[in-house]
Order: sequence, then structure tokens, then C-alpha cells
Amino acid sequence: MAETILKVDAVTKTFGGLHAVENVSFNIDIGEIVGLIGPNGAGKTTLFNVISGYYAPSTGNVYFMGEDVSGQPPYKLAIKGIGRTFQVVKPFPGLSVLDNVVIASLSRHPRRRDAEAHAWEVMKFTGLADRAQILAGSLTLAGRKRLEITKAMALEPSLILLDEVVAGLNPTEADQTIELINKIREQGKTILIVEHIMHVIMNLSDRVVVLNFGSKIAEGKPEDVAHDPAVMKAYLGEEEQ
Amino acid sequence: MGTYIKGSNIKLFALIFVALLLLPLIFRNPFFLRIATEALMWIGLAISWDVIGGYTGRVNFGHGAFFGIGAYITAILMMNWGWAFLPTLPVAGFGAGLVAFIIGFPTLRLMGAYFAIAMWSLALAFQQLALLMNITGGPDGMRLPTFLNPEFFFYLMLVMVTGTFVLLWYLMECASFGFKVRSIREDESGAMALGLNPTRIKIQAFVLSAVPAGLIGGIYAYWVSYIDPPSVFGDIITDQAIVMTILGGMGTLIGPAIGAVILFAFKTVFWAYLSDYQVLYLIILGVVIALTVFFLPNGVWGTINSYLDHRKSKKNYSLISL
Repeated sequence: MAETILKVDAVTKTFGGLHAVENVSFNIDIGEIVGLIGPNGAGKTTLFNVISGYYAPSTGNVYFMGEDVSGQPPYKLAIKGIGRTFQVVKPFPGLSVLDNVVIASLSRHPRRRDAEAHAWEVMKFTGLADRAQILAGSLTLAGRKRLEITKAMALEPSLILLDEVVAGLNPTEADQTIELINKIREQGKTILIVEHIMHVIMNLSDRVVVLNFGSKIAEGKPEDVAHDPAVMKAYLGEEEQ
Repeated sequence: MGTYIKGSNIKLFALIFVALLLLPLIFRNPFFLRIATEALMWIGLAISWDVIGGYTGRVNFGHGAFFGIGAYITAILMMNWGWAFLPTLPVAGFGAGLVAFIIGFPTLRLMGAYFAIAMWSLALAFQQLALLMNITGGPDGMRLPTFLNPEFFFYLMLVMVTGTFVLLWYLMECASFGFKVRSIREDESGAMALGLNPTRIKIQAFVLSAVPAGLIGGIYAYWVSYIDPPSVFGDIITDQAIVMTILGGMGTLIGPAIGAVILFAFKTVFWAYLSDYQVLYLIILGVVIALTVFFLPNGVWGTINSYLDHRKSKKNYSLISL
């Protein structure tokens, strides 16, 4: 039995009267890749924001490595080991790619010299080293998504949350990113990934959690979930009689 | 950013410092020394403003408040409590830093123009406070004992501003703190995901910006020997520091120093020869800001820098093509 790294326990997040996430529970074990899918507006990004500390859950709890971390600010969770990327990428546009990654390295390597050495290592790993001196704002979309992953990795997290890092890329770029995610898994990281592109989720994930209108409607192995009637209904609608 | 201090930089700074040290020996004219002292003062105010305005990206329209607080602390300690001048300076710096620390918590949550407005009104509130209180002498201001030694004030200002410059250079351009404040300027919520606590970094930067302004205010009070609310809490102090920084180049230390020298030289000439047209001065400041934003968005120093970078990268390309 593998050890649980993240436990989402009956989390609900409401904005006014809107239940963006409602009573969602699931666990992630160390070393797993879990896919989080669902139609637009299902609450995937909201759930990401709750797990990474950007929103406090309205009710329910999030446990990371056995500790209740619900409502802790993002920077504390980042230091505890939760790294994340943003669907709407957040590079530091006026700084070089290198400086972006150096900043991401600072919480583990407070001295600038060490942070820079570490940043180069991570950039080599993710394939950004050749663009180190470019301004982050002038990268292509693929580059900026790659930078998001690089920064999350520079934090040396044990759990990494990837929010639509493949969406919007062309097939070659998408394949490179999938390859990179596999490399990250080989490093022993646990990954929670949100993605719209089904073949990415189906190929990468050990397990899939499906959300619809804020509630969990299915959980299981990718091939089982794909044939789950509730999931088919959520994605394709009901068959007319 | 991205480079450690280069040897050539250190040599250049040392050269400028030595030249400034020798200045009073060459020009014995007190009027000239007075101008040089005030130019140094503006360099100090502009670079300290740039810590929060340029590096951290929070445009502070109340920087003058810290200057005024320092000036009044020195004046009150000397006149009401009979302190000697030098011991008042640490208190002046500490007082300005403490005020920044306290008001930073509510105001630094605000973004863009809202922070600017909050700080502007706060500076105004301090000016009103100084007008109303007895201890500050109200609208009559305060007279300090006169100490007519232009060399003393020149050297004191030189040491203070050079010290500030070196400290800020280390923190902003060499140490990791410079990276942290830049990340806050670029994207606060993105910085949080990387383990950085924005509130803490902003408060640190704010205090770092306020303390030199308070120290310089303290020196100013003793130097000019008369202060009143408009002269040390007036908008003009903040406004000039901002125009100097924008003109020279925000987010750098050399930029504001260049901007301060250019603008202060202009102001001196303008007030000496065209004093009938003083009303025009503020209008000219406004025009300078507008023109700079349009034509030199990175300021004088930023423009020079990107031109040099461009040439360097061209050279690199030609090397590659060989």
C-alpha cells in the first residue's frame, strides 16, 4: 500500500451562491500521476487553487503529507512542497528566463550563487537552457508553458500541479511536453494534472478523477472512466430516446 | 540584472567617489558646495524612492513624508530635548522606517494608482499634523541652531548617499533580495506559488526605501536650519524624486542618480536665471514626465543600456556567423 501524499477531504468552495467545487474527496499516493478532467466550468482550476492555497476551502480539508494545510497561504504550501503551474501563464515578463528560474530556486537555495547554479540545472532538465537570456515575456506560448513547468520544478516540490500545460501547443510541442512530464515522474515526483486533451490524460495518468458542475462523478483507471456512463453523459450529453 | 558587480563598475564608482571627496578642495565657493550637497541629497532621495517605485513597482507619491519625518525628528530632538545633532540621525532613520513598517501593512495591499493616492494623502496628513501640533511649532516651523560649515554638510551628505547607494547596490543588484522584489513587481500571485511571501518582501522594501529618506531629512533640517511643514512635507519633494527617477530610468540605481543630476542642474539654472518664471517650473516637470514616458520609456540610463546591449548582441551574432 503506497503512502498518501495528498488527501482532499470533502472540499467545498462556494463563491456567493455558486458552488464551484462541492464535496469533492480523493487521495493521491506518492509517485502517482492523477488526471483531473471535466467539461469547461467543472471546477478543476478552482480545486487546484484550493489545493495550492490560493483559495481557502469553504468547508472540508486538504491534507498534505498527513498535515492539515487547509487555508494556508500559497507561499507556505510552496515551501512545504506543493509546486504548481498556472493555466493562464504567469511568467515575470520583464525578467530573463534565467532570472525567472533563479527566483523560483530561492526558497530552497537562498544564496544567489547557489540559486543560479540550481536554475541552470533545472533549465537543462526541462530544455530551456538555450533560451536562458531571453526576456520571459518574449517567449512563445510553448516556451512560456515550459517556463511554468521549469519554475514549478525549481521549487523542488514533492507534489506538482500541472494546469493545462499541453493545451494550445502544436503536436510536436505537445509530445515534447508529454515526454517532459514522464521525465518528471521518473524523478519520483507525484503529479496532479488538469488537461482537456483526452489522449494526454489517458496516456499519462495512472488514475483519473472526473468533475462535473463542481462534483466528482467518477474516479478510476483511465480506460474504465472513459466508459463510465456518467462521464459519457457529462461530455456527450444524453442520448435522445 | 543577471550580472555580478563587474570590476570596471567598482573602479568607476570608486573614481566618482574620490572625485567627489576632492570637490571641496578644488571649488572653495560655498554657493557651489551648497549646490553639490543638494544634488547629492536628490540622488539619495531618488534612489531610495526607486527601491519601492522602480524595483518593487509600487509608485509612492508620499515619499516626502519620510523625508519630513526625519527632518522633524532631528529638529524636535535638538530643540526640545537638547540633543546633539549626530545622535538624532539614527532616530530620524528609525522613525521613518517605523512609520513605513506600520503604514505599509494597509497601504501596500493596494495596487497601482490606489497605492499612489493612499500614500499621497498620508503625506498630506503628516503635513497637516505638523501644522497643528505644538511640538513641531505649527505653521511657524522650527529654527535649528545654525552651523555654518558647508564642507561638513557636503561630506556628511556624501557619506550618507554613498553608503545608501552601496547598500542598495548590494541588495538590489547582487543579493537575492533584488530578485525577490522584482518578482513582486512582475507578478505577485506568481511569486507566491514560488514560496515568496509578498507582504513581507514589500514591507522590507518599503522600510529600506524610507530609512534613507528619513536620514537625509534629518541632515537637511540641520543644514538649512529652518524647516516648516510645506518645505519638508510638500508635494514637491516627492514629485521631484519621481521625475528624476523616471527621467533617469526606473528599476536601476544609476538611472535615478543621472536623472537627479540632470534635473537638479536644470532647476538650479532655471531658478537662478529665470526666477520670474518660477510658476512654470511645475509645468516643466509635467512636460518632462510626459516626454520621457513617450520617447524614453526606460529613461536615459535604460535607453543607453539597451543601446549597449544591442551592440553587444550584434557582435555576438557576427561571431556566430563566422
